[in-house]
Amino acid sequence: MHLYRDLRGTLQPFWVTLRNMFRKPVTVQYPEQRQQVAERYRARLILTRDPDGEERCVACHLCSAACPVDCISMQATVAEDGRRYAAWFRINFSRCIFCGLCTEACPTLAIQVTGDFELAGRDPLKLVYEKEDLLVDHCGQEPDYNFYRQAGIAVAAPRGGNPTESAPEDPKSLLP
Amino acid sequence: MPTLTIDNQQVTVAEGATVLEAAEQLGIIVPHFCYHKALGAVGACRMCAVTVVEGAQKGLQMSCLIPAEAGMRVTTGDPQSTSFRARVGEWLMLNHPHDCPVCDEGGECQLQEMTIASGHGIRRYAGKKRTYNNQQLGPFIVQEMNRCIQCYRCVRTYQDYCGGRDFGVLGSRDRVFFGRFQAGMLESDFSGNIVDACPTGVFTDKTYRFKSRYWDLQEAPSICPHCSLGCATIPGGRFRELQRVRSGINQKTNGYFICDRGRFGSGYVNHPERPRQLHSRGRELNLAEAVRWLDVQARELLEQQGPEAVLLLGSNRASLESNWLLQQWAIDLGCKVPLLSAHIPRHQAAQVAAFDFSDRLASLEQLRSSDLVVLFGADPLAEGPTLALALRQVVRAGGAVIVYDPRPLELPCEFDHQSLTPVQLHELLSAEKGPEIDRLCELLQRAAQPVLVGGGDLLGAGGLLKLKKLAKRVSNAERACLLLPLLGAANSFGAALLSPAEQDDLLTRLETGRVKMLVCLETDPLLEAPQGERFADALAKLDELVVFDYLPTPLSVHASLFLPTCAPLETVGTFVNNGGRMQRFAPVIEPGLPIAVTGDGDHPPREFLSATPGDEPRPAWQLLQWLMDDRRELSQLHGQMVAQLPRLDGLTELRPGDSGLRVRNADERSVIVEDLPEQPAGTLQLLVSPARYGSDLCSRFSAKLTPRFSPAILRLNPQDAAERELSAGDPVVLDCDLGSFKFCLQLSEQLAAGCALVENSGAFPHLVPGDRLSFCAVGAEVQL
Repeated sequence: MHLYRDLRGTLQPFWVTLRNMFRKPVTVQYPEQRQQVAERYRARLILTRDPDGEERCVACHLCSAACPVDCISMQATVAEDGRRYAAWFRINFSRCIFCGLCTEACPTLAIQVTGDFELAGRDPLKLVYEKEDLLVDHCGQEPDYNFYRQAGIAVAAPRGGNPTESAPEDPKSLLP
Repeated sequence: MPTLTIDNQQVTVAEGATVLEAAEQLGIIVPHFCYHKALGAVGACRMCAVTVVEGAQKGLQMSCLIPAEAGMRVTTGDPQSTSFRARVGEWLMLNHPHDCPVCDEGGECQLQEMTIASGHGIRRYAGKKRTYNNQQLGPFIVQEMNRCIQCYRCVRTYQDYCGGRDFGVLGSRDRVFFGRFQAGMLESDFSGNIVDACPTGVFTDKTYRFKSRYWDLQEAPSICPHCSLGCATIPGGRFRELQRVRSGINQKTNGYFICDRGRFGSGYVNHPERPRQLHSRGRELNLAEAVRWLDVQARELLEQQGPEAVLLLGSNRASLESNWLLQQWAIDLGCKVPLLSAHIPRHQAAQVAAFDFSDRLASLEQLRSSDLVVLFGADPLAEGPTLALALRQVVRAGGAVIVYDPRPLELPCEFDHQSLTPVQLHELLSAEKGPEIDRLCELLQRAAQPVLVGGGDLLGAGGLLKLKKLAKRVSNAERACLLLPLLGAANSFGAALLSPAEQDDLLTRLETGRVKMLVCLETDPLLEAPQGERFADALAKLDELVVFDYLPTPLSVHASLFLPTCAPLETVGTFVNNGGRMQRFAPVIEPGLPIAVTGDGDHPPREFLSATPGDEPRPAWQLLQWLMDDRRELSQLHGQMVAQLPRLDGLTELRPGDSGLRVRNADERSVIVEDLPEQPAGTLQLLVSPARYGSDLCSRFSAKLTPRFSPAILRLNPQDAAERELSAGDPVVLDCDLGSFKFCLQLSEQLAAGCALVENSGAFPHLVPGDRLSFCAVGAEVQL
């Protein structure tokens, strides 16, 4: 019985090799040949814009709070029209673990993941991305949402001008 | 002392406590908004519902309103009250906007917490949200009225507790609005407290707007450095920048609230001109070399020129530990005992407080529960604003406040103001008999718990001693009449406590010319002592001027050796407040240039550095330890301090954020009190009063407070002005011992006749309050 087992163990691998020798290879010749990654693949992060073309990020610090490796830092500031935005926004991709928790935390859908996984490099400082490296010119995967149209503060529309709001009250009115 | 059962746990509470407080004692937090420990309950928010199973009022009840009764049985987690609270949480959110990401309160918002606690998550109501237009409320507070949940806490804080009159509630039905009648800066000196009181983001700190999130802030319990009351504060910083200060809680001092000077006066830590680097004229030294050089140089001078060649000067801004180490260094060197304050009259007044008053010092807590407070020569809003808040609580509880002061005072409560000149004040205090003193003594004797408050600046050491005599006179067997002095700075009491009884004047010692080296520890006598000009002349006689400081004072620029030190917020230490309470503060941030500066507003520099830019400042106590080659921990030093000075018993057990410990009582000291000088004919008594903002150096170097700085004004009684043919608005010249100063004249009926009142601030740094009584002439400015 041992003889049969040993013979089979010797010959079967040759048969497996022989059988696969004529199959179409699955190896991709990266980087000459590139492949489309899945739509929900989590790689390099971007900061998107809202449908009106304004920055979505309001520098609320929720992504940096959610980040398990503390690779996001930022400073909020305010524009003349009352819009809160990031004065600077930094992601250290040499520390990022691409877990995507920041995108789940983001209340304005500003920070989003992309399929761009090619982040290797020799200089760690080149992996520290500033706001100008992160900010893109499109809405990313969420084409419709504009936080300031929902927020109840007068940035995208005058006070009380958003669809979910009534006109401002006059507290000095005596009407019942 | 009723015992009741809450959620099957028994608890015994004080008489008059509510069910909410009883539950809190057990560690059960019933969600609530409108209840606040200092403000009490109004039952407006309906959030704190519990079910009373057994008791006088059965069923669903608001736990903040019903008193705890013996034998009561209460449940907090039963379906009835849980579902009631969930509904309340939901309808409080009906109009609340969806703007937490851009709200500064996010992360420390009681509404966020209580909404989550009540279980509300998804909005079911499809109707529209109510909106308001916001008001501009000045440079300190931002209003975002859409977020309001109508808990009335802001009005109860601003009007009821703090006595502000220009902010209130307007409107009817569901459009109730909290603000001013017209937009404008909030006038109260306690306006910042509505930021702490608001449970959501309606009122937020404008100076901290969009700077950080609560969870990113480095916070630590600290002691306010702006006046002698020693209020508890919790400063917060991030990226090496001190960004905000909020009120700490200490029942013995401030309670729950602080003043705007303490809250918005923290800019000195990040002052753009703060000297952060060691500089030594003509010598290339690093910090360790500089310390060694200083020690060697001091020893050489002492050997060559005798024990007077080196003079060490401590300060009432420096911590107790630093001042004590300075004394130890003096012993080590063999030079004369250091002076611990450049301002001798203030220092003498502080010594009276530290020694003669020590057995009857009141705390602010005792003052709040008093029924009669009499102030002599004290302007609380300028010399210790939280005292004014405590006085308001006296009046609210039915007590009375009487003020004897020459100045046109404002207080956030009703009070009886007797306008007396400084000379008349001294006469009143030393009078054995007279209609006024008899009336006062009778009132004080009848009071159940009287407190006398004495302004150290106006009364001086002599006046404070007279005040103590008055307190003894009106004390009886049942209760002592307590005393509360107002002193010059945060650690005036501590510096006085360490000082020996008799010391020479700083100026006399400097003017002899025998002093060759002066070492100033966190003090600038040019700005912090009267007769700064005489001091400036005396400086020319020195060979070496060594300055340890953290403020951009003129002296730190003139110094031949300057050693940068940490601000109180950057290190650990102890201050002793005017009531003799030792309080520890903890480091909040590390010294260093803020990232906002190194990055010039943009992202932090993209470089790898081993050191932090601008991190050269060291704690003053550490530098002094290095001088003596002492590498012990501060806690070991505390043990030695207590062994030397038994009055500091308990110093080793102090923790930052606790309520502090009173120093032990001391024997009286005999202070030589000078007689009041004779008033030359045709002159006025010069009253230099601290400005509410900008008289202490820390607030003077805080740019945030600029909108509150007062212009240079001279105030006269209309009668005195008429005698000199002057009218309001005239440019006038004031001539006094310190020189001539130009002012704009204002008239004030409440100012005692025969006085000229000026305020010390950045505009007139040489007019330092608290000097001995002097006289001045006032006349119209002569146009050449």
